[in-house]
Amino acid sequence: MTDAFLLALGGVMTPYTLALMAVATLAGIVSAAIPGFTITMAIVLTLPLTFAMPPMQGVAVMLSVYVGGLSGGLFSAALLGIPGTPSAVATTFDAFPMARKGQPGKALSLGLLASFVGSLISIVVLIMAAPPLALMAVKLGPWEYFALIVFALTIIASLVGDSLLRGLIAGLIGIGLATVGPDPIMGRERFTFGYELLAAGIPFLVVLIGMYAMSQLLSELEPARGGKPQPGSLISGDMRPHLLDTVKQVILKPVNVVRSSLIGVFIGAVPGAGSSISNLLAYDQAKRASKHPETFGNGEPEGVVASESGNSSTVGGSLIPLIALGIPGSPADAVLMAAIMVHGISVGPRLILDNPDLVYGMFISMAVASVFMLFIGLILMRAFLRLLNVPKYIVVPVVLACCAIGTYTLNNRISDLYLLACVGVAGYVLRKLDYPLAPLVLGVVLGPIAETNLRRAFQTSDEWTLFFTRPISAILLTLAAVSIVYSIISYLRRRKAFSSRTNASLE
Amino acid sequence: MERRTREESLLPTLQLLSYAIIASLALLMSLKAGSLPASRWEPMSAGAFPRIIFLSIAVLCTIAFVTELFKQGLPRTTWATCLQSIVKLKTVIVNLVLFIAYMAFLPWLGFMTSTFLYLSAAQILMAPKRLTAIVIALLVAAVFSAGPYYLFSEVFSIYLPRARW
Repeated sequence: MTDAFLLALGGVMTPYTLALMAVATLAGIVSAAIPGFTITMAIVLTLPLTFAMPPMQGVAVMLSVYVGGLSGGLFSAALLGIPGTPSAVATTFDAFPMARKGQPGKALSLGLLASFVGSLISIVVLIMAAPPLALMAVKLGPWEYFALIVFALTIIASLVGDSLLRGLIAGLIGIGLATVGPDPIMGRERFTFGYELLAAGIPFLVVLIGMYAMSQLLSELEPARGGKPQPGSLISGDMRPHLLDTVKQVILKPVNVVRSSLIGVFIGAVPGAGSSISNLLAYDQAKRASKHPETFGNGEPEGVVASESGNSSTVGGSLIPLIALGIPGSPADAVLMAAIMVHGISVGPRLILDNPDLVYGMFISMAVASVFMLFIGLILMRAFLRLLNVPKYIVVPVVLACCAIGTYTLNNRISDLYLLACVGVAGYVLRKLDYPLAPLVLGVVLGPIAETNLRRAFQTSDEWTLFFTRPISAILLTLAAVSIVYSIISYLRRRKAFSSRTNASLE
Repeated sequence: MERRTREESLLPTLQLLSYAIIASLALLMSLKAGSLPASRWEPMSAGAFPRIIFLSIAVLCTIAFVTELFKQGLPRTTWATCLQSIVKLKTVIVNLVLFIAYMAFLPWLGFMTSTFLYLSAAQILMAPKRLTAIVIALLVAAVFSAGPYYLFSEVFSIYLPRARW
């Protein structure tokens, strides 16, 4: 264990890797700060750059983008009042009023420090939770794995979007897309319809780039609804970080930051949930626990701390199922998984047993990236003010071109570009029709794992009741059923409350 | 049942249509999966899993279709409303067409030329019609077409497509 740790430390702490990580963290912050450019897009676009790097360096660079990205949304949230990413929605509630009161520097430094502490807490939880969970997961059979994926997909479908049914349909479409090409057990060709383009299957990164990046970018070009105010003018005021004051506010009131970080870790570990939910939940809990909740929404420092520590701590949480079980909980984690897999390393419970240095390298690089995030954010605060005003007519075409580069460099295949165009159009149409895209993308990743385990289970024994009689499998399938029933009940409740409100207003 | 305007009815109408289309495609795919040969070595053939998935999609789409009809009734919208919505999305559609053209011509024109043309066209189309904006757009197009090409070939030894003429 010590050998692996020292190996990882040596791998991450080389000057070249550290320099790359610093640049990657900056890129993560910048991309998440630009409204319309999401963390997933930034990670996807970084992937081809890591192909030529050794695995540990590549993963360290990707994690730096991830960590930087989770705090980048703070800048546009505080300075423009619009969240750069969905993970910074709650940050706008207090950071923007604070900045408008003439304290933009303090709002940013509070958010950065809270993000830093949140990331560190999540890394500690990750280090404690992932190895024992992985040791347990090694003992799981195909029945349990299949049940786990069914559970993950139902959770994702019920948490994302407005409709459970559309979420489930999207998840199953994703699994269906993954069945195109050779089957995962015998390699038999399926659903290619004679097109060579489909012979190797549909690469999940092409689906991810098309569905997530392309459809999101195209929707950025839609006219604003109901004359919503456009990004406001740049904030001016005291840009000094007031570090001593900020440290006192975060460290001397540890309950808020620890509670928000733990919420972030927990939400991050649940597949499908993520920083877009955790920041709101952490903010809500901070407001409930506060002795002066009326100050929330008017530039309350505790609100900024709760939201930022809540979103940044999801990174550690979301890596728990990825490292321990080989199951990515979000599209960003799926790209991280791909970054590991392109180097010929299989991701699953054996990852930590077979490649402990890589896993320790991930822990160390997250901690290092958090430090970079704090310092880069504090030093370049003023520069970000200018950067936020990059117009959409530049951002959208440039990022779309980068998507094309990323797709081509995955396999050096022109045909992947045609697939990208098709998937992008389909993704945009599905988004417009209100289908959540996260279950679809994760369906493409989890589909082959589900199929392999289902077929292995039947190869071992053709007794299907084993799925319900083996305790862990039975528990997971019950939880899947409960999550569906729960979301149906909560939908019916919401509908009832809505109709009673409508009736009351009519009367 | 709530009464909705024609504009409000557009999305539910399209969603109903999407359920019908997805269900039909899923049924076709499940038939195709059923025709895949059985395996002598395992109880589940290569077609069994996709068949379960596509049949589940068809069932869920049918449930969604029926539930939506039962809840909201048949939504009524017109072609004119549909056209209006499409016109509102003209910037998106034009960009999408430009991007598809970029993908189609990339193998022939090569990465650098096609990217420069695409970036210039897309930016100039959306940018305010001022000389500075156009010059900036052309500069951005030049940097992001030549930059990645040389970065990938010189640093990563990954060669982006070259022109075929």
